[in-house]
Amino acid sequence: MNLKISALDFIQEVKTGNISAEDFVAKTMERIKNVDDKLHAFLSINEKAVDQAREIDKKIKSGVDVGACFGMPISIKDNICIKDSNTTCASKMLENFIAPYDATVITKLKNQDAVFVGKVNMDEFAMGLTTEFSAFGPSKNPWNLECVPGGSSGGSAVSVSAFECVASLGSDTGGSVRNPASFCSTVGYKPTYGLISRYGLISYANSIEQIGPLTRTVKDAAFMLNLVSGIDPNDNTTIDNKNTNYLSGIETGIEGKKIGIIKEMIGDGIDSSVLSATKDAISKLESLGAICEEISLEMVKFSVAAYYTITATEAGSNLARYDNLRYGYDFPLEGYEFNSYISKARRNFGPEVTRRMILSGFVPSAGHAGKYFLKALKVKSKLTKEINNAFKQFDLLISPTVPVLPFKIGEKIDDPISLFLIDINTVTANLTGKPAISIPYAISNGLPIGIQLMADSMNDQLLLRAAYALEQTVKLPEVSI
Amino acid sequence: MVTKEEIEHVSKLMKIEITDHKEYVDKVQKILDYFDVLDSAGVESEEISMHEISIINLREDKYIPFNDKLIEKLNHYKGTYVRAPKMSS
Repeated sequence: MNLKISALDFIQEVKTGNISAEDFVAKTMERIKNVDDKLHAFLSINEKAVDQAREIDKKIKSGVDVGACFGMPISIKDNICIKDSNTTCASKMLENFIAPYDATVITKLKNQDAVFVGKVNMDEFAMGLTTEFSAFGPSKNPWNLECVPGGSSGGSAVSVSAFECVASLGSDTGGSVRNPASFCSTVGYKPTYGLISRYGLISYANSIEQIGPLTRTVKDAAFMLNLVSGIDPNDNTTIDNKNTNYLSGIETGIEGKKIGIIKEMIGDGIDSSVLSATKDAISKLESLGAICEEISLEMVKFSVAAYYTITATEAGSNLARYDNLRYGYDFPLEGYEFNSYISKARRNFGPEVTRRMILSGFVPSAGHAGKYFLKALKVKSKLTKEINNAFKQFDLLISPTVPVLPFKIGEKIDDPISLFLIDINTVTANLTGKPAISIPYAISNGLPIGIQLMADSMNDQLLLRAAYALEQTVKLPEVSI
Repeated sequence: MVTKEEIEHVSKLMKIEITDHKEYVDKVQKILDYFDVLDSAGVESEEISMHEISIINLREDKYIPFNDKLIEKLNHYKGTYVRAPKMSS
């Protein structure tokens, strides 16, 4: 049984009867048992996955209509609610939380006969970019177990990269899908803001975060987007995509398309091998008929500070609900006064969440708002104008996804500023609502490098087309674990 | 400059008990120093754009039956009420 196949190949194999969903899912669960002790991608496993796949096989055999996934095994980031399953956000605060309802994306995937193999690791409440801030321990990069897998959707990327599932859903607030995709050599897609419902995604920074797929191929990402996108009455920020088929025309190439190379994203601090891979990718796109020219986006150098100011503020508000009365862990009430109980209970937040909560008390406060929060919102507005102008000149923008290679676990954990700066190339898409994708492009010293493409809002179809074209120019090795 | 007293005040506002306030003075100061880069962005005259949703486009505010007894999912409840510690006198 080849667990390394793409989602679309899996579906074809099941459809034609070459494999059964049950066998594939059973082998996938075996694979998880064999390798996940080393990788720690999963926080919980769905013990009923094989039974659910068997039921789908029965539907196929009896000629009943089957959903588009045909029993495809998918992992889900642990901040997306699956009814009656643990949803911990990798936090001690939610260690025992059982979701009482399905997120919209989960309802959609259930309707398409997907099988959820388990919930995967992340930085606590999605605050981080290495998965080191999970309260349940870090995930490891399957390309080098001493290195971080990226984050915050690190478990998603690891599980796809190490063949523990066929695809995964993560969430992307400042690069949390694209960054681990780049570090683990998978495709990571952040759609246009509003394209995928956030209903049932535990909020961190609502104004910019999006659910997105991590997959083996660009076509798989387009397929997943077909399944989970669209308007949702439970999320008023969703937009009507008129049932766009993102696979349609994906092979039609990018001849004549204009691509802007973002100068500020290939400057100071970039690893030489990442720069070299980026230049190579640009040459490949030119050889496919694209016209590539440099462009400057002045606000990019302020984007990380603006991003952390805005997200800390929204996080402070969103995390106020964790009072351990409505959600929380087992901590008795007796002997405490109301406020001291909540303060004591909230000590179960980990170090990064605590740091950002403290920060969220500063940056929007009466004495500091003008200096930090309001200025950050103004940077966001100006950056949006700059990028909208850029898309009057260019069809797409290109940069490396992350300016550095995956680094050692623990190497940067005590240096928040150096960690923040790793987000420099990814936060722009979130602050401006634009779609962006990380495409696996190269391996340097055994470590993956991803290339990021960005498009204008609602141009997701073109973005996937360009990503597919670039993907076809490279043949990368598989992870050896 | 961030002070120990400010950290104490903010942690109280954010309802997080911190044992070593001093530890956070340096951490928060370092991050705020980095955020000072925003001063050189030259955005003083920029208008803040907001994503607005018209009230008529909001979901209808109506009761939707829910089969599970959500109250029973809480750690502390009595009857149909959330149980909480006493407020200070």
